[in-house]
Amino acid sequence: MPAPTAPDPGEVPDSDLVKRCQAGDTRAFDALVTRYRGKVYAMTYHMIQNETEAWDLSQEAFIKAWRALPQFKLDSSFYTWLYRITHNVTYDWLRKKKIQGDGEFDDSHTEHRVAAGAETVPHGDPAPDVAMKRMELGERIRDAIAQLSPDHRQVILLREVDGLAYEEIAEVVPCSLGTVMSRLFYARKKLQELLKDAYENAD
Amino acid sequence: MKTPTEDHDLIRWLDGEMTAAERERFAARLESDPVLKADAEALLQLGAALRAHLPGEMPLPHADFFNSQIQVRIAQEDEPARSGAPSRGRWLEWFRLPSFATALAAAAAVVIAGVMIWQQDETGESMVLSTYTPNPGVQARAFHSQEAQATVLMLDGLEAMPADHKIVGYHIQHSEREQDVATTLYGERGEVVLVVSEDSHHQPRLLSVSTQP
Repeated sequence: MPAPTAPDPGEVPDSDLVKRCQAGDTRAFDALVTRYRGKVYAMTYHMIQNETEAWDLSQEAFIKAWRALPQFKLDSSFYTWLYRITHNVTYDWLRKKKIQGDGEFDDSHTEHRVAAGAETVPHGDPAPDVAMKRMELGERIRDAIAQLSPDHRQVILLREVDGLAYEEIAEVVPCSLGTVMSRLFYARKKLQELLKDAYENAD
Repeated sequence: MKTPTEDHDLIRWLDGEMTAAERERFAARLESDPVLKADAEALLQLGAALRAHLPGEMPLPHADFFNSQIQVRIAQEDEPARSGAPSRGRWLEWFRLPSFATALAAAAAVVIAGVMIWQQDETGESMVLSTYTPNPGVQARAFHSQEAQATVLMLDGLEAMPADHKIVGYHIQHSEREQDVATTLYGERGEVVLVVSEDSHHQPRLLSVSTQP
């Protein structure tokens, strides 16, 4: 495999790399993968909270992006466009797995904490509410995020974690600006409710 | 009871989506409404906690392999005729599983620490498209000499490999049924060092290991 001769990928604008990709330059695409793989992986991981599946879904998102690149008109930023593809790939996976949050508690994220057949309230162990308070804030947050519906989870992650503006979120999802605001409002209120006792127990 | 517009104002203020004039007006509202101010501060605290505990970028496990697999799949899609073994990519996927790495720990010293993805070129000769080493300290390079009709694999950084136990080749045995696929690695005397296959759930199945030099 020949040694790369292109300039540092960090110095080349996305739009230039995209144009090279559209001309069939797979090394330019490799540079885009390197640039965004950590973000795409983080997004999918936060959405589904499974390392192996997030790895596979991230790869699937990049493969789909490569296939779709000839149709990409550069009318939006590459990362917004890539996030939209990642969003679709993740939602397809969620649909297949029939994971439906929508405010409902999803025990697939917490089943490891309670052994099947364990006593409901074992003697000597802290009560469930006390045990919950002792959980680290990070774990509490991840559990709370998992209890949001995919729609609410997605917008809160795009806003708070990725720092996307409302218009970019609306483009990724896609939905109206009003829907973005409503989902953000609901997601935050739900998280506040789920985490209301977390801060006072955090270090 | 607050109206949706008021809720949206709070959200827009939190997210910096207000104009300067709107922001000034909202700041005045906050000062005159302690309940709204407390709500805003709680939401600011929530946002800070989310950002602190949910990183926007995470290190990808086996990042180089991630990139190389994408390049291989692109190459296969661009030239379907060259993707002679469609099950091969899937077959090799479990090489990156931690459980597989653990299972091979005992044999790691004598096993080439890498995965080479091969394809046939137009002339029917093998070429190495991509290499992957689970140990980031090990670098794999491949050189093909058409004149010598040989491919040389160079592994730098494999300190633990004994000089008297060389892996001189391996063979991937395919059959019509995927579960019958097996990879065999050979030592320099032609002895079998390692045989791995996969079970019906596509998990690695160690069939045979020999660590004797």
